[in-house]
Amino acid sequence: MTTIPSGGSSSAVPAQRSWPRRLLGRLPTVLWLTAMWVILWGDPSPGTVIAGLLVGSACYSAAKLPHIPVRLGFRPLAALRLVAVIGYDLFASSAQVALHVLWRPHRTRGAIVAVPMRTDSDFLLAMLSGGLSLVTGSLVIELNRDQGVVYVHGIPIDSPEAAERLRRQVRRTEELFVRAFGTAEDLAEFERHAEPADGEDGGDRRPGGDS
Amino acid sequence: MTAVLDWIALGCLLGGALLSFAAGVGLVRFPDLLSRMHTAAKPQILGLLLILVGIGLRMAPDPRVGILVLVALFQLLTVPVAAHIAGRAAYRTGRVRRDLLAIDELRDELAEDSGR
Repeated sequence: MTTIPSGGSSSAVPAQRSWPRRLLGRLPTVLWLTAMWVILWGDPSPGTVIAGLLVGSACYSAAKLPHIPVRLGFRPLAALRLVAVIGYDLFASSAQVALHVLWRPHRTRGAIVAVPMRTDSDFLLAMLSGGLSLVTGSLVIELNRDQGVVYVHGIPIDSPEAAERLRRQVRRTEELFVRAFGTAEDLAEFERHAEPADGEDGGDRRPGGDS
Repeated sequence: MTAVLDWIALGCLLGGALLSFAAGVGLVRFPDLLSRMHTAAKPQILGLLLILVGIGLRMAPDPRVGILVLVALFQLLTVPVAAHIAGRAAYRTGRVRRDLLAIDELRDELAEDSGR
């Protein structure tokens, strides 16, 4: 039987986590803060590193960050593919938007499209909605967490085919994110959702409005 | 070798400047907020990244290049979030021009929500 010395500030932390484990959980964050400190000083001398460690720990304890169990996987090859695709898309979309700016900005029409997501992980959805803004023609406007639907604004869109293309692109980006950072469970769930929708891609949630 | 690097740096700086210029013009010339957020989220980021790469190539052996990496990283992390929040607030407060939207699948959803 070991008694767990619990400080007054640890009321939010589940009691079963002993303090060495809590310390270990904080280590990556403190190391990252230290790395940033050293980079900002531009001088990797021992004094800077020690000062960085002190400041990092002080910031960490002052901020009283809650412990969030991060459940993400990491597949280096898939992540590399994701970075490559996002990078390419960033180039393509920048060129496209720049072209529209200079050519005919007043006739550029957009659309807001609902895309049902096949993953249910908070972390993946957060990363995805960040990544989508860098991808050709898409900007996440709204995220319905209960139903797992993202609403994406895209330009330039003037036909149902263009909207369909945007939808496909969002789903492809989602797949890349799940394959790169999803846990095994996320991936299994993703494939379970993906199977039946193979024939008619996301046809279950398409609104009947014919504008 | 340094000459080649200098030319690459020059290309990056010019490309970045052009894209940043396009982003600035887009802010003025696009008709509504949602399209403007697109220029803020795409050409602006890529323009900045290219300029940072250009600067980085010029001062390569200096350890302070790390700062440029930090700038790029935090831009990539924060700008999409800012664009998302601005777009969301604009939509929710009705600052969106409907005549510029070919399809709007969010309107029906919100109408259902408020009808409940």
